[in-house]
Order: sequence, then C-alpha cells, then structure tokens
Amino acid sequence: MIDSRGRGPKKTRAWVLLADKLADRVITVGGILVIAAVLGMMVFFLYEVAPLFKGGSVKSEWSYRLERTPKSPLGVCADDYNTIAATVGRDGEVVAWHVKTGRALDSDSFDLDGKDVTAFSQAINGSDIAFGFSDGTVRLGKIRFETEVLPAGELPKGTMELDERDRTDGRSVFSLIPGDQIRRVSVAVEMDEEIQASTTGSPIAAMDHRIVDFGEKPKKLLLVLDARGAGTLSSVESKLNLFTRKASTEISNTILPRLEKTTPAAFALVNDLGDSVYFAEESGKVHRYNTAAEDKPFLAETVTLLPAGVKLTEFGFLLGGRSLVVGGSDGSLTVYFLLKRDDARSKDGATLVPTREFEPHGEAVTGLSLSRRDKTFATSDSGENIWIRHGTSQKTILRLTQLKEGERIRALSLSPRLDGILALYNDGTARFWELDIPHPEASLRTLLGEVWYEGYPEPSYTWQSTGATDAFEPKLSIRPLIFGTIKATFYSLLFAIPLALLAAIYTSEFLPHRIRSKVKPMMEIMASLPSVVLGFVAALVLAPVVETWIAAVILVFAVLPLSLIFSAYLWQMLPPKAALRLQGIPKFCLMFVVVGAALYLSYLSGPAFEKLFFGGDFRAWVSSDKGSSAPFLFLMSLPAMALVVGFGASRLFGYRFNRYVKSIDMPYSAFLDMLRWLGIAVAALVLSYLAAVVAQALGADPRGGFVGTYVQRNTLIVGFAMGFAVIPIIYTLAEDALNAVPEHLRSASLGCGATLWQTAVWIVLPTAVSGVFSAVMIGMGRAVGETMIVVMSAGNTPLMDWNVFNGLRALSANIAVELPEAPKDGTLYRVLFLTALVLFSMTFVINTVAEVVRQRFRKRSMQL
Amino acid sequence: MKPEIVRGDSADASETSAVENEQLLSSEKGAREATASEASDHIRAKDEMLPEKGGRGVSRKSMVWDFKARGEPFLWGLGGALTIGIMMIVGFVVLIVYNGLLTFYPKPIERVVLKSGAILAGETTRSEVFRPGPETLKNLSPQDRKLVEDLNGYATRNLYRTGNFDLYNDDFRWVSDYDVAEIHRPRDLIFLERMEWGPFIGTIKSADFNGKIVDKESLKWDELKLQHRQAEKRRKRVKEIERDQLGAINHLLERDRLKLRKVEIKHGKQSAEYLRTLEDLKGKEDELQSRHEELSREAAILKELDAKYTVTMADVGGREVNLRISDMVRFYPANDLSFVEKLGIYLSRWWEFLTDEPREANTEGGVMPAIFGTFCMTVLMSLAVAPFGVMAALYLREYARQGRLVSLVRICVNNLAGVPSIVYGVFGLGFFAYVLGGSIDQLFFPERLPNPTFGTGGLLWASLTLALLTVPVVIVATEEALAAVPQSMREASLACGASKWQTIKNIVLPRAMPGIMTGLILAMARGAGEVAPLMLIGVVKMAPELPIDQFFPYIHLERSFMHLGFHIYDVGFQSRNSEAAKPMVFVTTLLLIFLVFLMNAASITLRNRLKRKFFTGHF
Repeated sequence: MIDSRGRGPKKTRAWVLLADKLADRVITVGGILVIAAVLGMMVFFLYEVAPLFKGGSVKSEWSYRLERTPKSPLGVCADDYNTIAATVGRDGEVVAWHVKTGRALDSDSFDLDGKDVTAFSQAINGSDIAFGFSDGTVRLGKIRFETEVLPAGELPKGTMELDERDRTDGRSVFSLIPGDQIRRVSVAVEMDEEIQASTTGSPIAAMDHRIVDFGEKPKKLLLVLDARGAGTLSSVESKLNLFTRKASTEISNTILPRLEKTTPAAFALVNDLGDSVYFAEESGKVHRYNTAAEDKPFLAETVTLLPAGVKLTEFGFLLGGRSLVVGGSDGSLTVYFLLKRDDARSKDGATLVPTREFEPHGEAVTGLSLSRRDKTFATSDSGENIWIRHGTSQKTILRLTQLKEGERIRALSLSPRLDGILALYNDGTARFWELDIPHPEASLRTLLGEVWYEGYPEPSYTWQSTGATDAFEPKLSIRPLIFGTIKATFYSLLFAIPLALLAAIYTSEFLPHRIRSKVKPMMEIMASLPSVVLGFVAALVLAPVVETWIAAVILVFAVLPLSLIFSAYLWQMLPPKAALRLQGIPKFCLMFVVVGAALYLSYLSGPAFEKLFFGGDFRAWVSSDKGSSAPFLFLMSLPAMALVVGFGASRLFGYRFNRYVKSIDMPYSAFLDMLRWLGIAVAALVLSYLAAVVAQALGADPRGGFVGTYVQRNTLIVGFAMGFAVIPIIYTLAEDALNAVPEHLRSASLGCGATLWQTAVWIVLPTAVSGVFSAVMIGMGRAVGETMIVVMSAGNTPLMDWNVFNGLRALSANIAVELPEAPKDGTLYRVLFLTALVLFSMTFVINTVAEVVRQRFRKRSMQL
Repeated sequence: MKPEIVRGDSADASETSAVENEQLLSSEKGAREATASEASDHIRAKDEMLPEKGGRGVSRKSMVWDFKARGEPFLWGLGGALTIGIMMIVGFVVLIVYNGLLTFYPKPIERVVLKSGAILAGETTRSEVFRPGPETLKNLSPQDRKLVEDLNGYATRNLYRTGNFDLYNDDFRWVSDYDVAEIHRPRDLIFLERMEWGPFIGTIKSADFNGKIVDKESLKWDELKLQHRQAEKRRKRVKEIERDQLGAINHLLERDRLKLRKVEIKHGKQSAEYLRTLEDLKGKEDELQSRHEELSREAAILKELDAKYTVTMADVGGREVNLRISDMVRFYPANDLSFVEKLGIYLSRWWEFLTDEPREANTEGGVMPAIFGTFCMTVLMSLAVAPFGVMAALYLREYARQGRLVSLVRICVNNLAGVPSIVYGVFGLGFFAYVLGGSIDQLFFPERLPNPTFGTGGLLWASLTLALLTVPVVIVATEEALAAVPQSMREASLACGASKWQTIKNIVLPRAMPGIMTGLILAMARGAGEVAPLMLIGVVKMAPELPIDQFFPYIHLERSFMHLGFHIYDVGFQSRNSEAAKPMVFVTTLLLIFLVFLMNAASITLRNRLKRKFFTGHF
C-alpha cells in the first residue's frame, strides 16, 4: 500500500470514522425506535382497556370501636369525602364520628318529643331520613354534611390531629387538600314539621320516602302503611316564599284502597315517578298498587316473588326506581322490572318480571346499600359477608369476607362517590374499607352479550352511551357497532369488488396501452381523494337524488348488464373487417355510449317500472308489508335463474349448437348466437316469475329482511360512496397483480391459439389470483376503517338489521362522534378505546392475511 | 376447458385474413408489446395465431367464429365495469368543479309571483324534479294536477335564495312550477351581502350619509360605492383595534398574570420574590389598562360614526330595513350587470374566500385560517415524518440483518399503512395529548393548570399523529427506492474506501432521493386530506388565534387550529342551514381536492419521469 510518491497507507480521517459510527448508532436506534413506536400502539390500547375488566379492590381498611353508640342505630351515612359518618338511634340521638379513626365528634340530635318510633326510612342519598311514630305521624329529617373550602391560613388553633390528612376541633373535621386549601366538614341536623300520615291514626308499620327533583321544584314522596293496612301516598312540596323567606310545605295525599287481609307488611316502596307502590310481606307476597292516576289508585296485582318457605329479607329500588331488588333468606338476589306483558294477570296489563339473577349469597341477605351514582349496590348476609355488585353488568365487583365471627352487621353505607363502604356492627364496632371501583358497569357481558336493560321488554344488544339523568343506565354493547361496520363493509364490497376487478382485468388485458397509461393514474389519484369529500357528496348531493329516483336506481342494476351484453351480441354481428377497424378506442368509446344510454333508459323508465312493480311508490311499498312481494322476488331470482338456464342450456345442447353455429356464415351465425341468448333470457324471465309467484305463495317476503324501511341516509348510499374510496385501491392493486404475470405465459397461450379472452381467464387470472385476493383484502381493510363517509352518510343509528335501506353506526364513526365528548379515563372513554382496539385488530388481521398472501404471490411470480 | 382455436380460412386467402385475425385478437393490447421489454414478446409477435391450414369445408370468403372463445359478452362486461368506474370518477370531479367554480358567479334575481298572490324575490339556485305528495296533489287545480299526472306524478321545482333571514327566518324557498303565475327580472333588485344575517335581496329606498338624506332617484351609484369604501376602511380599523391591538394587550396582561402565578407556585405568596414581581407588574398593568381604554374609546367613536351612515332597503313585499353601510360587504344590481362586472364580482369573491376569515358560523367569508392551519399541519407533519421514515427505512434496508425478524417487521409496517386513521386519532388523543401533554403541563406549565396547555388536542399533537399515520407510507416508499439502487454501486463505493455512512450519504441516498420524495409527497397528500383523526385531536370549527403570531415564541404548537377537511364536515353538517352552507362546502371541497390532486399529480409525474413504480413495488 505504498503509492508512487512513497507515502504510507492513507489513514482514514478520524471524523469519517466518527461520522460512520455516529450514523450507525443514530440510524439503528432511530429506526428501531420508530418501529417500536408504531408497534407500541397496540400495547398502549391494551393498557388503556385493561382496567375495564378489573373488578374493584380494597385500598385500605380501618376497624375500630366507636367511643359512643346510639341506642339501636337505625341507619348510617357518610359525607362525600369519607370524612364523617353519622348514625341515628331509635331515640333520635345522632352520633357522628371520624370515618377512619372512629373518634367521636359533637353533633346535635333530633328531638322526637319522646314519641315511639315504629318505622324508619332512609332515602338513597343516605342523609334524608324519615321517622314513623306509633301515633300515625311522620317526621322528615335530614342529616346534613356541611362542607366548606378554606385557605390554608385559616386553620383554627388548638385542633387535634386525627390522621395525616385530617384534624379536628371536636365538632368539625379539617382536611388538607391539594392547592394549599383546607376543607371543613361538619354535621348538622334538620327536622321538618310533623305530618299526620296515617288517616286512621294507628302506628306506622312500614314506610318509604324519596326525593324527586326532575321537575323544577324538588318534591318528596312519602309512602306509609299503618298497622291496620291503610296506605297513604303523600307528595310533600316545600315552598320558599321569596318575600318573607318563610318555608311552607304543601302536602297532597293519595289514599290507597285498603289491603283486604291485614298481614303486617314488612316493606313499603314507591318508585321515583310515584306511579306505583309496593307493599311486601315477609312471606314474599307483594301487593302492587297503580297510582298513575292520583285520584283513582287501585290494587293492580298481588304476586309472590319467592318460593314457599323463603322469607323476604331485602326489598328496594336501585337508583332510578325501576329495578326492584328482591333478596331472600335463602341468599338469592333477583331484580324485577315492571313490564307490560300480554299474558299479565293484573289490572293494568303490567307485571313484575324477573330479569336479572345475581350470584346468590350462601346465607340470608340481610342488608342492602345503594350507590347514588350508578346501579352499584352492596348486600350483606347473615354470614357477615359483604358483596358489592353492579345491577346492569351483574358483576360481583368485590367480596369482603374476612370478618370476625359473632359480629352482626347493623347498617351498611356505600360512600357517595363509590370509593368506600362503611359497616356498623351490633357490638358497637365499625369498619371502613376504602375501595377502588373504576368501572363497575363494564363487563364482558355488557360489552358483548345481550342485556336486559331497564324499560326494555326483552334482552337486547344496545348501544346508547349517554343519557339525560344520573339514573340513566349506559348501554354499552359494542355488538351493534361491530355489526354496523360489517354491514357497511359487506354492502360496499358487494358493489366495489365486481366493478374494480372487472375493470382491472379489462385494463390489464384488453385496453390499448395509450388509454391504459391515462386511466391508471386517474384511478390512483382517485384513491387519495379525501374521504370527507366523498361523505359530503354522498350525504348532501347523492342521498336526496337517490331517494327521489330509487326505483330507477334499482332498475339500473338490471338494465346496465343487460344492455352491455345485448350490445356485445350486436357487436358480434359486425362484419369482421369493420370489427377489426373499430377495435380498440372506438369500441371503448362505444361502451361509454352504451352505459350512458342504459343510465338514461333507467331514468326514463324508472317511474313506469315503479308503477308496475311497486304500486307507484317504492318507499311506501318497502316500508309497509302491503302490496305483493312477488315483483321484488322476481327481480331477485333473476340472476340466479339466468345462471341456471344458461348453464342448463350449455350442458344440454351447447356443444351441438356451437358446432352448428360454426357451420353457418358470419352475420347469420352471430344473429343465431344472439337469438340463443335472447332465448335464455326469456326463459330466465319466465322461470323467475314462476319462482317468485311460488315463493310468495309460500310466504316469502324480502321486506323486513335485507330490504325494509327507507331512510334517506342509508347503507346503499354508504356502499356507493365507499365504493369511490375502495374501488381505486382494489383496482390499482389488482391491475398491478395482473400486470405482473410474466409476458411469456401470455405469449405461450396465445401461441397455442388461445384467444385473448381465453388467455385472460385461464392463464392470467389463475396466475395472479393470490395478488388479486390480497388486493380485495386491502380494499376490505380500508372499508372497515373508513370513518368520514360513514359518519356523514350512514345516519349513525346503532341498529342490527341487514336492511340495505336503513342506516347503521360503524365502530369508526362511533369513535369519531363520541370520543371528543367522553371524559378522560371514564368507562365510555375506555370502551371507546376498546372499540378502537377491535377496529385495529380487525384491520390488522385482514391486512396481515393480505400481506402474507402477497408475499407468497410475489415469491411465486418471481419463480415463473 | 381446452382453448379452442379460432379458425381462419383456407390457405390461399390466408395472407390477409391471418393478419386480420391476429390483429383482431391482439390489437387491443397491441401497444403492450411496444413497451414491454421482454424477449418473449418478440417471439409471440411472430408465432402466435398461425391459422390452421385447411378449414373443414368452410367456404373461402366466410369467417367462422367460435363465439365462446371470443367471449364478446364478457369483454363488454369487463369494459362496462371500467367505463362505469371512469364515469363515476369523471362525474364526481365534474360535479365538484362545476359547483365549485360557479358558486361565486353572480346569478340573476327573479321576482316570482305565485298563483296564491304571494310575491318573492330570490337568486335562482337550482331546480330539481320531485314527486308531490298526495295531499299536495289534492289541493291543486285540475289543470295543474293533470300536468303533474302527465309526468308520471313528477313535477319540477326551483330553489330560490330569498335571503333576508332577519325578516323571513329562512334563507331558501322551494317554488314548484305549478305554483308560479309569472316571473320577472327587475333591474333595480339589489343583491347585498351583509356581515350578519346573510344576504339581503330587495331595492334601495333611500340613504342617510351622516344626516344627508338622499332618496332613491337622486342616489348615485358611485357615491354609494364611495361611502361604502370609506365605511369599509372604518370597519377594518375597528377590527384591527378590537382583534389585534386589544388582543395584544389582553395577551400581555394574561402573560403577566401567569408570570405572577409562576412565582407564587415557586416561592409562595408571602415571599419577597412574589411581592417584588407584584410590584413590577403593577406599573405595567396600569399602563396597559390605560392603553386599553384609549383604544376602546377610538373604536367606540368609529362605531358611532358608522351608525350615522345607513341605507334603507325594502324587500320585495315592501318591508323596510335600515342597514349600516359598514355592515355591507358587497352589493350589486344582479340583473343589471355586464359580463365584466360579473367577472369582477366573481374574482372579488374568490379573493375574499382565499384571504379572509370566515363569518356567519363559517358559512360565509373566507377560509384563510383553514388554509393556513392545513398548511402548518402538513409542514409540521412532513418535518416529523421525513427523517424518521427515512431513518427506519435505512435501518431496515441497510443496517438490519435481513432475516425472518426483519421481514416480520416489514409485514407489520406494511399493514400498519392500512390501519384506519381514526385508530391513530384515538392513539394520538390518549397518548400524545393526555399522557405526554399532561406530563408536559405538569412539568413546564403548572401556572396555567387546571387549564391544559399541551394536555389537550393541538397543532403539535395533530401533526405527530398524522406523522405516525403516514410513516409507513414513507418507510415503504423509501425502502423500495433504496432497494432499487444497484448493489454494485454500493460495492464500488466501499471498494474505493468509503465508509458505510459515506456510501449511504453520497451514493445511495442521492440515487434514492426521487423515490423518497415521491413517498413524502404521497404522505403529505394523505395527511392533508385526512380528517377523522383530527376531529379527535386539535381541530376546531373556529380557532380564535392562528398558530403563528407576533408573540413569543411566535409558533404556538399547543393551539388548536382549523382545517379545510374539517371545515367541509363542519359547515356541511353542523351549520344551521345546510342549504346555505352548500356553496361554501363545494368551494372548499374544490380547493381541498385541488391541493390533494396537485400533490398527487406531482408525485405521479415524478414517478413516471423516473420510471419508478410504487404500487407495483409492493409485488
């Protein structure tokens, strides 16, 4: 390595080496990072979705003996932040304590004037309570938690530390909260005037009350049943006089017809609307009153909800007042809905229907506490287990079982924010569990299965994620969405695949090169057309036109192929020389003319066709079940019959006919060939008419199946618009696949004397079939994920039917519509991530299949 | 099936007919041979279609066909499909171009007297054939009913843009042909575009120029134009004050507030630093406030002046409306225009469309912010996607050991190009905005919390999401381009002593550059037209501020922005009157399609010129 001037081997300069090393590292690390980032998407989705399927967990647990306990406590409640809990005794004494330490706090008590409490009820919010007395009077009260946020500097002196968060001055609790602030929580009690609820003046046996605020003014519903079996439903409205600042109450009573046999009812319940009232006996016998008409309440039915020998131990409504929870001494737990039923043996046509069975407790259900946020509830049993479950998903979220023997749960309270549960025991101890229940309403069952939702006559797959009130039950079945995606894909591919593939074959095998080099780029540009544009045109321009001309549109599907075939037979009759001269561009142009003419013909004959086949109004015909279904059946069976007849004819006398045709001179043979086709067409028409008549007689009707009610933005429009998006892709890729078939195969085939048509069908297509298949798969992948077109032109109704004239809601459209509104990390947010994951997986599978097939095809075509 | 041979005729006449036959069967792809380079073509041209000698008792002049082999009906089926495809595309483009180009051209105003006696005046918009319902038919006069029945129950109706939304609560009105008594085009009807309430159609009654009242007869068109120009100047000044200057002051005030808050978070409220900053800012704030008041006063004076220049207009029914001249955008006597004047109005509308901001809930005015937003996002996306896409491709092709793993990765990358865009949008929102952006906010912008800065959708996250979406496209294209660089060139370079990086930098990349550029342009075209992911991450219907302005740091990546594609969706589907919005949507669509097609055409031309194929490259 010594050059002519005697210099030694040239050393590589240091910076070259450095640059090389650096580039090496940067590119390797960068490249791997990019690929990892792209693949990391899947992991991120899984990470976001996973919490949906987790149950709840206990974060921490406190157990203590209360410093003070009231005499036989009636109920327990706690504030929003799990700071203070309070319970009230039979004598009206209120005992408050710090939830996490049990440290007693001072509080006022209810003054019951020494009356004897015979019934007690607690509204779903826990703090609204009502006492029923032995003299038939009722008093409504409230344990109010007063919350106030103060700047950190205003912490009073002399407070005592409870735990790291809380301090107390003996009456209030001060909690340190983020942002340098302090929250003060204290207990106050209020009591309303006495209400003479029982008309007979006998002791109150059972009562229920609830706060209703879906009108403008809050209203309290109060239901009492006295010892003599007389029930009264009162509506208590508090009014505040704006000038005098004086509150007054207005009470209106509905006297219920008296129960015939006065067995003491253990439970009384009224729903949120106040239109049905239940009295339940311990034996499980339930008397239901219909109080929809305030002046005419009547006993609608009496049913026994539990088997003989099983006692009714819990009876209550979940949030919203529509799901009736029935717990028995055998540990069973069932939810009943009041539903209209044809076979109902009640006076108002409705009856209690068991809709949800829960996993049974081993022992009698003894306690029930409801969440005021959603349909979650907690039950305890005589074996001192506490189970937390969700009403809709029927999921058992959490089981708290590690309890000491011999303690009996006296009262149970789920925290308002569903982040804790407090249990008060008979022996004066209490326990508090801090819980984490992120997504109680989501389970595999609610996401994929059929669920019987409140107010629905039967179980269904429903998607309806948001509602107006808190009591709304989110319906999160993603099945209708998956179905919508599949439906949109199916119908659009039904339209796009034939068109794209046929066009690709023609372009690759028959089109003159000059045109081909123009057509191909045009289609490729089409592939990049923004889908928002397609959606806009489909929804605002196409949909109204199709709606007006629907009959003509249907007619096009028949007229177009027929006129193309007919002109092909006419073309055959051309003298060979003329045919030769006009081959290529003129012939291609003629095809435009034919297609145009066919479209115009359909446009002209659309109204006549509509009159003849559908009684003059297609949309009316398709939406009702009136009118004969035969014409449509006839249209449907036409292609099948044409195939049958054509195949039969060629099997029976095709060979002989062909030989005969060959023996005749040119124009006549072509004419004969056309006659043969016309004969087949007529035979097919006749046969399909017969088939249609027979099918109709047998009761076949396509309406309600894949045709039905017509809406303006429907699947037909989606299919058409999506065709625009998908056709160019399938077309380009399929054309490339066909084009990649080696030229020598074609040459060999043509050299053996095959025609171009024969070469295309028997040589080129089979060789390229896997490439064509992967083109179709990639087109399908695009159709599955297409968003803007379905958002804009599909109507976005989450339905599950195959009706081509109805709308749909696809996974992608649903994400686009709902995700911007979904609160971060909420259940809906995660469910939408799940749908994105489903979409991701669907397209990933489709694309991977396409890719694998394509790689194999590439390898094979290399070998050819 | 055995391919059957097309029979030619007997030997002596074979010269011509054999050639004819051959042509007939292969001419349709005749040109294929011209371009295809394989040697086999040559053979095929010679050997194919030799006619079989000695036809079986067929007369000399006749040609016998095996129609089955020729497959004419099938050919027509195939050709028909292609024809339909082309017609769909051409029809679509024509529809957009026709509607988009014609939207801004002034249309005549017709004064229509209905048979019921009602009068309306409106711009002719379009007409359509419809089917009157049975109820409507029943109420028609016998002659009219017969007319409709003669047309198979169909009738024609015209859509008139009547304007005057403040009077009629409606912009458009359908008029069925059978309802019309007579139609005129009076020359004194004025089409007047306003800042609010949409257009006004009617006649001028009088004008009030600061107390000088001019009635219809003595009002000169030129004087009105002059006043309008001055009023426009005042309007622009008011806008400048209210939006730019007052906006700037508010911005500075807000910045000071945040500065104070930052000090408070860092040092606490009682600290010396806090008090010092408070003191510092106090003086500044007072100065800004007084400037604020000064400007507000100027704006108020101008507005007061505006109120003194008005025009009284009357609609076709005689109802009068008093309009400020400064509220008028454009006005012209629609039926009294020469072609040049019409062209002038047409061009001025295009100018407004391209350079102005939208008004009236985006259904009028321009789309400049949307164009700007689309542009910014596309540029940012390209900046992100180009280096990373090329880097990943370089790694896959030049650095990684070619094996099973790399081909697996390649499959993954390839089919990620087919993952729905909305999925990327979900990822962008969940990961970029909430996870990344949320952490950035915690670290760098604690003073703005709980208002998110980067913790919500914005320009940066949208661009990154789209970059992620298009990175597979660039990777695939770049890989193909790299693969097309002959191995021998690399070897030659290495043999000359160049290092690997030098080889890549000086030999491989320049060769592959056209291919890479094509991939990039394709990615940009896809990114510019994509809407679905943007809906989730950062696009808004009306962005208060552009992403680039005069305040430090000048480029505000966290801001939400407007986008042409989303503009189409929003205006077409979310506006109060989709009919009124339609022209705007068509024009925006035209613009978007034009941009996307331009980019695609560029890449295809580039490709064709370089004889490179991308789609075929997959195989």
